[in-house]
Amino acid sequence: MNLKTPRYVWVPLIIALVTIPAGFFYVNWSKSGDGAGLYSRDWSPEPVFAYWNPKDFYQSVDTVVGEFSGEQCLDCHRGVTPGIVNDWEKSRHSQASKKVYCNDCHGSNHEQLHMPTPDVCSNCHATQHKQFVDEKRFGFPSHALAMERALDAKHFVDKPKAEVTACLQCHSVATKCDSCHTRHKFSAAEARRPEACITCHSGPPHPDDETYFNSKHGQIYLAEGKTWDWSKPLKKGNYPAPTCAYCHMDEGKHQVANKSIWKFGIKQINPLTSGNEVKRKQWIKLCTDCHDADWSAVRLKEMDSERKTAWNKLYEAEEILKSLRSDNLLHPSAKHRPPYPMDSPDDLIQYEHIGFFEGQASAFYNVSAIERDYFEMWYFDNLSAYKGAAHGDRSFIKKGHDAMDKSLDKIKQKAEKLRVFGEKEKNNKQRKTPEELWLNGEYTEYNRQHN
Amino acid sequence: MHGCTIKKLVCILFLCIVTEGVFSAEEPPSSTIVLENPACIECHEKQNRVIVNEWRVSAHAITNPVVNCVSCHGRLHKNLASNARQNESCISCHGSEKDPVIHSYSSSKHGILMRLEENSYNWSKSFRLANYRSPGCGYCHMHQNNHNVSTTVRHDLMSDLETESVQDKTRAVCQDCHSPRYITHLFSNNEAMLEVGRKKVREADHFIEQAAKEFSDNELTYVKKQLKIMQQHLKNVYLGGGHQSPDYQWWHGQPALDGDLLRIKDRLGELHRTKQ
Repeated sequence: MNLKTPRYVWVPLIIALVTIPAGFFYVNWSKSGDGAGLYSRDWSPEPVFAYWNPKDFYQSVDTVVGEFSGEQCLDCHRGVTPGIVNDWEKSRHSQASKKVYCNDCHGSNHEQLHMPTPDVCSNCHATQHKQFVDEKRFGFPSHALAMERALDAKHFVDKPKAEVTACLQCHSVATKCDSCHTRHKFSAAEARRPEACITCHSGPPHPDDETYFNSKHGQIYLAEGKTWDWSKPLKKGNYPAPTCAYCHMDEGKHQVANKSIWKFGIKQINPLTSGNEVKRKQWIKLCTDCHDADWSAVRLKEMDSERKTAWNKLYEAEEILKSLRSDNLLHPSAKHRPPYPMDSPDDLIQYEHIGFFEGQASAFYNVSAIERDYFEMWYFDNLSAYKGAAHGDRSFIKKGHDAMDKSLDKIKQKAEKLRVFGEKEKNNKQRKTPEELWLNGEYTEYNRQHN
Repeated sequence: MHGCTIKKLVCILFLCIVTEGVFSAEEPPSSTIVLENPACIECHEKQNRVIVNEWRVSAHAITNPVVNCVSCHGRLHKNLASNARQNESCISCHGSEKDPVIHSYSSSKHGILMRLEENSYNWSKSFRLANYRSPGCGYCHMHQNNHNVSTTVRHDLMSDLETESVQDKTRAVCQDCHSPRYITHLFSNNEAMLEVGRKKVREADHFIEQAAKEFSDNELTYVKKQLKIMQQHLKNVYLGGGHQSPDYQWWHGQPALDGDLLRIKDRLGELHRTKQ
């Protein structure tokens, strides 16, 4: 390099040369702990995690010694675990001209058995696996990134591990193929049924099951679905009404995030970006398997408008909370309660995390009641409305928006109360700190010591 | 018409008692005779005493009204076992589709597979050796025909006294399909998960007890109501673990308990602030 090169070139260059590898090494180091993910050094897994995240945690045991052929595995397991052998016998693996035996996926050495990951399935199902992995480029929320999403969630890291096992049970959709194609039958037809999705896609934040089954599409499925030929691919003309997979995995493509515009309703997005216009066209093309294109475009516009209304309500609540935070009226404030997950009580700046970009997703415990009200408004009421709009279930749009209105009222009343208390305590020049109640207690103390 | 039916029933019952000798013979009663519970018991005590005795100590026999043979098997001596084995015979008493006891199962992978495949199952097979691809209510709670449905359920969630016996009974069921190591890890995780839930309930209970020294029952109405809701959310954690529904372990369980706990603390804090 020419020594006469001006300082504004070589100084940033040296800084970049130092910080980029240092950052790289830091991330690698932070991922090399007992746990997994960005905070792997902060937690240790429960033994059962091995079954949902085998790549990171599964270890074989030496209870049985020896190398076995497929037929030998079957002979023994017919007695030991007959259910899985029965299942395999019904599967295409057992009926193929060249059978796919137990040891083809689990290995032959019983002391070094492994729990099959998507990589193992990709040995034969390369196309599906490639599509699945490629989904990562569409970002959260997605199936392919689901495990990372769970492991890097601050509440997952912070809470006792036995408490958060359920997270991995659903987020393992990224690390095992049998979330949808249940073992050991691994049926494509089964995974095409809407029921295959609803063990995870149900409950307050994502009532996909209820909203779909309530919709006309779902009603047709419920009335007729049992008579449809589920061995057919998810293509135009093969099904009288769409199912989860027909729309979200059209033509059997193993991606669900590729057409995602509104991102589950968890954050406000600009629906009119060029990227989203492309996705909108993809949706309209799909809807035209049955519907008129213009009609479909109007339905999607309705969703834009429903989202706008929802976010106006959410931002109104968020503003109330942020104004209470500025006036130091949240009770207990961040200083007088257990810290937000992965914050430390020794941090110089302690603050209440409000809104999506401050980490709302983990702000459902160790918070004051009004913040929890907002969490529920955002994560339960709002997402119910969104799912209703997305799946064509008007009852859930109404239910969700009514619940948001109610939550907003509750938040306003509570804010008023907090202001009155604040005023009273300011005048009396006394403010009883609430630590005794909020920092102590059997679970609160246990949580502080165990993650 | 109605009176006539009752008369018929009384006659049949009388006949059943009088013809006890006929029923105790090798031949089963005709499939057209309408049966009542005493007749079933009378005959089956001789045929297979074990299941009758199992039923006698189960929750079914001591509840009011008693859940007896005909409650599940029907009144006609026809397809007796295969009718009673299907989930419907349990669900009709154990709540609606949205009841946590039912919903935690029906939304689990076991429940989903059952929903998709039940018509293809051979319900004349007994509940053993993975005769069914996915377990229904009876496969787990009446495994190997055990007519004491209470051995695989817990009655007091706040105590761990029943843990071992319930786990032992359930292990025998799970291992028809799952590996012993998986079962061990899953059970211990379920137990630890339930204990975390109990800690939350006990924490709330402790602060409410403390507050009872300072505040009236009236002032504590809300927190006491919330404590009762916690018991249901704790039950959801238990059901979510037992029926393997992630949603019940989590959204209907642990974070719901977190919300209950902080709302109880918030109300107690308010009472203190109002008082000062």
